[in-house]
Amino acid sequence: MNNRKVEHTGFFKNVGMQLLNKTSKVFKFNTRFTAGFMILLVVIILAIAAPLITWHPPLKTLVGKPFTPPIALHPFGVDDLGRDIYANVLYGIRTSLIVGFSSTMLALIIGILIGVIAGYYGGILEDILMRITDMALVIPQFLLALVIVAIFGQNFQNIIIAIGIVSWPGIARLIRAEFLSIKERPFIEAARAVGLSNVKIIFEEILPNAIPAVIPYIFLQTNTAILLEAGLGFLGIADPNVPSFGLMLNTAQQYLVRAWWMAFFPGIVLSIIVVGLNLLGDGLIEYLNPRLRKKGKP
Amino acid sequence: MIFIFRRLLQYIPMILVVIVVTFLLVRLAPGDPTYILVGEVGDESFVRAARERLGLDKPLYTQFLIYISNVFRGDLGYSYLRSESVAKLIIDRIPATLLLVLTSMFISAAVGIIIGTIAAAKRGVTDLTLSILSIIGISIPYFWLGQIMLIVFAVWLGIFPLGGMVSVGHEYQSFLEYFFDVIYHLTLPAITLAVFNIAFITKITRGAVFETMTQDYILTARAKGMPESRVIFRHALRNALIPVVTYLGFNTGVLLIGAILTETIFAWPGMGSLLYDSIRLRDYPVVLGIFIYGSIIVILANLIVDILYGILDPRIRIK
Repeated sequence: MNNRKVEHTGFFKNVGMQLLNKTSKVFKFNTRFTAGFMILLVVIILAIAAPLITWHPPLKTLVGKPFTPPIALHPFGVDDLGRDIYANVLYGIRTSLIVGFSSTMLALIIGILIGVIAGYYGGILEDILMRITDMALVIPQFLLALVIVAIFGQNFQNIIIAIGIVSWPGIARLIRAEFLSIKERPFIEAARAVGLSNVKIIFEEILPNAIPAVIPYIFLQTNTAILLEAGLGFLGIADPNVPSFGLMLNTAQQYLVRAWWMAFFPGIVLSIIVVGLNLLGDGLIEYLNPRLRKKGKP
Repeated sequence: MIFIFRRLLQYIPMILVVIVVTFLLVRLAPGDPTYILVGEVGDESFVRAARERLGLDKPLYTQFLIYISNVFRGDLGYSYLRSESVAKLIIDRIPATLLLVLTSMFISAAVGIIIGTIAAAKRGVTDLTLSILSIIGISIPYFWLGQIMLIVFAVWLGIFPLGGMVSVGHEYQSFLEYFFDVIYHLTLPAITLAVFNIAFITKITRGAVFETMTQDYILTARAKGMPESRVIFRHALRNALIPVVTYLGFNTGVLLIGAILTETIFAWPGMGSLLYDSIRLRDYPVVLGIFIYGSIIVILANLIVDILYGILDPRIRIK
């Protein structure tokens, strides 16, 4: 906390500068972060290039003989309906990342809103909001998301919204904690003294200084969201018109004895994405927490 | 006593919140809520009877009161597909799920603490290997790990059964035989579920042992000429146990979800398999019931850990 430089300039300029400064230093001193970053970079490139490096449309049935083991034409094999698993896996990366990032954005918006109100205004409002947050933390996220998608309809948007809705409490808590500490600092008092409005103080003075602490958790939350989506798909809660790891593993479950490749390839790629995001998040937490930083000083 | 009472006051409303959330979700959903509360099957007269029983033709607050009183009486509706009450269906499955969760908790605590302590005592190469292994252990999704374990150990090597809790059609001569058969079936799912926690507990133990090793009383113990192994196991490990217990206790929710996913793979006859089948059959009353029961189990587990904590460490009671 005390190593963070507190400045008060515009929101984007401040966050941007801090990020740029930090990232260049993180690379130098943190192998975890670097490894995670590389993995994620490759994954994102694969997701973007999916149409260029696959030669079968995903979801299209009978592009190959059902249950063909991995061969040159179908590197990851063919599933029960004759779909090319390689194409489905590459497009599945897209689905995973889109669900991960957009639901995290939604969770961020809700979490920041609640955290800001609770942390800045305090009082009864804070008590009520934090009580709600504590309660929301206890309800099993996965089951709640599952129920929401099951009864509101199994489509892509609903999955993103459901995951976003169940994921905000952690972020709200973090933001509140940051606000509680930052709002006591002298420069906030100064901002009040010159007559800045509450909204200005919140968005231009406090929030830019609170965001850096939340960034590692954004990656970890994306990770959780990706696993949530895959878990839901595995239980059969998914949009059947979108290639997804969860749904692939769900289908694979019925043919484990017969076709190991149907489970192996989607799962290994999903695991690699998760490893990448975990490394990235952990590396950043380690970097931002000076107590954990072992090598050198930035 | 006052402390326990206060904790109860804190947690009971959470159960109420779960029920309110369920009620709201069902009413907010598009379409006729009857189909969600009854399931997408059933003839006209059955649906009409259900609608009357649930008071769906009455104003919203009456519906709410009826729903709350039903849930508190343990009436979560009726599964038309299985001709059985939802509550009974779920309660019948809870023991199997708990057996899986508790076994894997035990395995992960035992293995994680041992590895974590060794890692803290001997730094260097083990340190790096362990952090790589723990990142992998934390990252692999349960449901995929389970599938791979099943393919390798049951399909290819044939060491373990393909699933279930007991051998089908087997006549047991004694309780002991039955017991060992269950253990045999339990091994793969319990290990699958334990891997994530082993990785995490190793990490926590390592950190905690490390921290305690810098304390003065460890220095004293060493100065007395106590052998290093005794220093670690008698003094350092003891204090490292607290965070492990906290972690396991407050992560019952995560474990329960893990169990639900793992059960699906190994056809373990618990709540997870029930949930999986109910989703496939669109048996919504059961899905909602599992949400409510699952949340209550997690809330109760948190409550128990919280109370135990207060008993073990009186300082916490004041908060």
